[in-house]
Amino acid sequence: MEQLLTAKRLILRIGLALAVLAAVMFVCSLVGTETVSLKAVLTGPGTQAAPNPDYEIFIRIRLPRIILAGLVGAALACAGVVFQVLLRNPLADPYILGISSGAGLGAIIAVISGFNWTLWGRSPIAVFAFAGALGTVWLVWFIGRLTGKFHVTGLLLAGVVVNAFFSALMMFLTSIAKSDQVYATIFWLMGNMREGDFLVLWIAAGCVGGGIVALFYIGPQLNALSFGADDARSMGVNVARTRTIAFGIAAAITAVAVSLSGLIGFVGLVVPHGVRLVFGPDHRQLLPMSGIAGAIFLVIADTLARIIVAPAQLPVGVVTAIVGGPFFLIILVKYSRKVSWLK
Amino acid sequence: MNKWSFLLLVISGWMVVGVTMFGSRQGRDSSGAPLPDRADRIVSLAPNITEILFAIGLGDEIVGVTLDSDYPPAAAEKPKVGTFWQPDIEAVVAAKPEMVITLGFEQQKNLAERLRRIGYNSLTVNIEKVGDLFAVIEEIGAATGRQRQADELISRIRAKLQQLASLIGAEARVRVLWIVQREPLRVAGRDTFINEMIELAGGENAIGPTVHKYPPIGSEQVIACNADVIIEPAMGRDDIESRRESALQHWNKFKHLPAVANRRVYVIDGDTVSRLGPRLYEGTETIARCLRPYLFEN
Amino acid sequence: MSGIIEVDNLTFGYTSETVILKDMCFSVRPGTFVAIAGPNGAGKSTLLNLMCRALTPNSGTIRIDTAAIESYNTKALASKVAVVRQELVPAFGFSVMETILMARTPYYGSTGFETRHDREIANDALEATDTARFAYRPLTSLSSGERQRVFIARALAQNSPIMLLDEPTSFLDLKHQVGIYDLLKTAQVEKGKTIVAVTHDINLATQYCDEILLLGADGGYHIGKTKAVLSAEKVKEIFDVNVFAGEIGPEKFFVPLGKFANDKRKMNKESGNI
Repeated sequence: MEQLLTAKRLILRIGLALAVLAAVMFVCSLVGTETVSLKAVLTGPGTQAAPNPDYEIFIRIRLPRIILAGLVGAALACAGVVFQVLLRNPLADPYILGISSGAGLGAIIAVISGFNWTLWGRSPIAVFAFAGALGTVWLVWFIGRLTGKFHVTGLLLAGVVVNAFFSALMMFLTSIAKSDQVYATIFWLMGNMREGDFLVLWIAAGCVGGGIVALFYIGPQLNALSFGADDARSMGVNVARTRTIAFGIAAAITAVAVSLSGLIGFVGLVVPHGVRLVFGPDHRQLLPMSGIAGAIFLVIADTLARIIVAPAQLPVGVVTAIVGGPFFLIILVKYSRKVSWLK
Repeated sequence: MNKWSFLLLVISGWMVVGVTMFGSRQGRDSSGAPLPDRADRIVSLAPNITEILFAIGLGDEIVGVTLDSDYPPAAAEKPKVGTFWQPDIEAVVAAKPEMVITLGFEQQKNLAERLRRIGYNSLTVNIEKVGDLFAVIEEIGAATGRQRQADELISRIRAKLQQLASLIGAEARVRVLWIVQREPLRVAGRDTFINEMIELAGGENAIGPTVHKYPPIGSEQVIACNADVIIEPAMGRDDIESRRESALQHWNKFKHLPAVANRRVYVIDGDTVSRLGPRLYEGTETIARCLRPYLFEN
Repeated sequence: MSGIIEVDNLTFGYTSETVILKDMCFSVRPGTFVAIAGPNGAGKSTLLNLMCRALTPNSGTIRIDTAAIESYNTKALASKVAVVRQELVPAFGFSVMETILMARTPYYGSTGFETRHDREIANDALEATDTARFAYRPLTSLSSGERQRVFIARALAQNSPIMLLDEPTSFLDLKHQVGIYDLLKTAQVEKGKTIVAVTHDINLATQYCDEILLLGADGGYHIGKTKAVLSAEKVKEIFDVNVFAGEIGPEKFFVPLGKFANDKRKMNKESGNI
């Protein structure tokens, strides 16, 4: 971009992007295995005895699912941005520090232990996956710190080791579990969008939205961090505090996303790069725009997952990779002159 | 106030608003509410549930089935609501059901809960053993106001099984190896409904107790099991024929096994033995015919 | 303006067995241009890192403007000390202007954006370093010499009384080397900045720097007026290299004499002066 980022320009861009997101969500909610007429939806829910199926499908099934897809996409994309700058690694994604295997382990433990209780009606898998994800991040952080104060390589290696260990545990449990339990776990992990109820969506929106705003607050500090911790410190940035806040928030919103929808790859890795190629690396812009782009991307991917092989459904993770790959390549080719590390 | 406290305040407010708005059970949630005792529009998410519904006279009331509900033939004509593994919740809702009946494994149980949360009556049943089958027939009968037909169905099945038992009498059990898959070799273990059917038909599983229900086994175990009879269910006429033709050649490597030596390898139509449903007797009789063909020559 | 650096009994080693800097005591007066020179491994970069608190001394104290360096929080220290380092990390495609503005990060408004004041300071820095024409080009599209000027501009934009530089000209061609030193000297003269630069080039140091701190490989050090401290003997002592020391007018220069130097025998007879 040839000009500097100002508050006014950023607000304008965010506003436009949000409008696009709203339009995409609206269009996608009209698409599905059943045809739903908007007019019928507007006539209301119907009675207890004779519910209006168009209303039910649109409001109770499709809309919550699309909102969920938007939240998860935003969370994963922003977490990806943060991990890429914290670890100074363009190949970092939200799962790089073991979150995926931690969530998976939590999920399979929940399924095997046969817990039948539900936490306020939420399935135990989600709760255990959330706990597993956060617990793993804490473990990796702890191990990483043993190698010295935020040694990036140490952190990455700790992530690799923990990932390998937990994956092995998962495979062990899988081999002794009953086949339908195994299938249930794997299916859940592959990434699935279910229509959560509104309370869950509301709370998740609060967490993810709040997290993204907090990350925006430390945007300038993240910019400075791109030049390395020493340089950032000399410029007056409190590097330790910035890292802790960024890391903690990114891990938390990833754990929320994973517990809601299983493991959906590709979003956290590729959306940040795509947005960076188009809008540049300034994190004050990169974060909100990645969040919105991630939301749009996942909503579209989920919609495709619902209709491509109807009445069956593809796992969302499959669609994100197949759709996202070529799309990203197009962006890469078109904007690559801006990218330094490609030269 | 600095921007961080402001953010914290906004988030806390957001959460409070959310809990007050959505915290209490929303209008149409029917979890925990008792089921009605009749239903005029029923969706069935499993083929054996569909069979039960037809068998107790509810064929007309069915408004949605999964893709694999193919018996009785009328079931195949019904509107589809997705597959057994991935039922389509939108299609279920579009069918305006008064009751949805699902099986108890994770995906379907989850779907039943989601349906209840948006106000649809759903019934989750487990049909894993023969005992379950009779209990579930009663349950479905009670929930749909067809108790009499349900009881009659149960008595009919029991009577026929009893007849079969007397026909077999106290003869020694025939050792059966039940093949689920040829390559890699997988068999039905003892913790399955197939095992129960084998025993009702006067046989016993050649394989001992195993951890998995349908374990893969190696050649050693095949030789050690000393099976008198090998039964291979196949689906569809083409599959049945091709398996019959290749059976001798395929099993020849175990030529010292009594089943192979005495040429007692049976490829049967898997239709009545692939699911646990009202055709329990038909499936059991098919097995009995393999174990003691002489009993049925009349 | 201030810019006093005081070092008392500073001792530092990376491990407990090897001590690189032993009991150093010296001070840098405000507005002085000091060069730090010495053989590889003597601890020049280490000393610089200690002076900006990237490292903590084993014992001894460092004071910036009479307050102990530990007493400053990160933002306060950045307002006193700016650092220009060797490794130029090309980050994800920031432009020159964005890079320079990052020095103003601690002073951004509550919205997280630069104020007009910040932008003025950045423009001044662009002017001072003659980099205004690249303002919106990505950092990575510049040559090393131009990039080095940008990093100096960023340090200038911090508006700090002290600037520390670690070998600012090591990969630059002659014209850019001179250009950088001219820039630094201007900053010292016009803005009264205290400048401490680690350098391998004793000739440029002699020309531009008021004082020189020579670090010996054994932990010994000498500090004083450049022209007074540097002599052929001193260079031989510290760097273990024979040099021919010459003068042209007020300027001193040193030419290293290796095995194949022509006039070596002749110079040995008239060792050190013409």
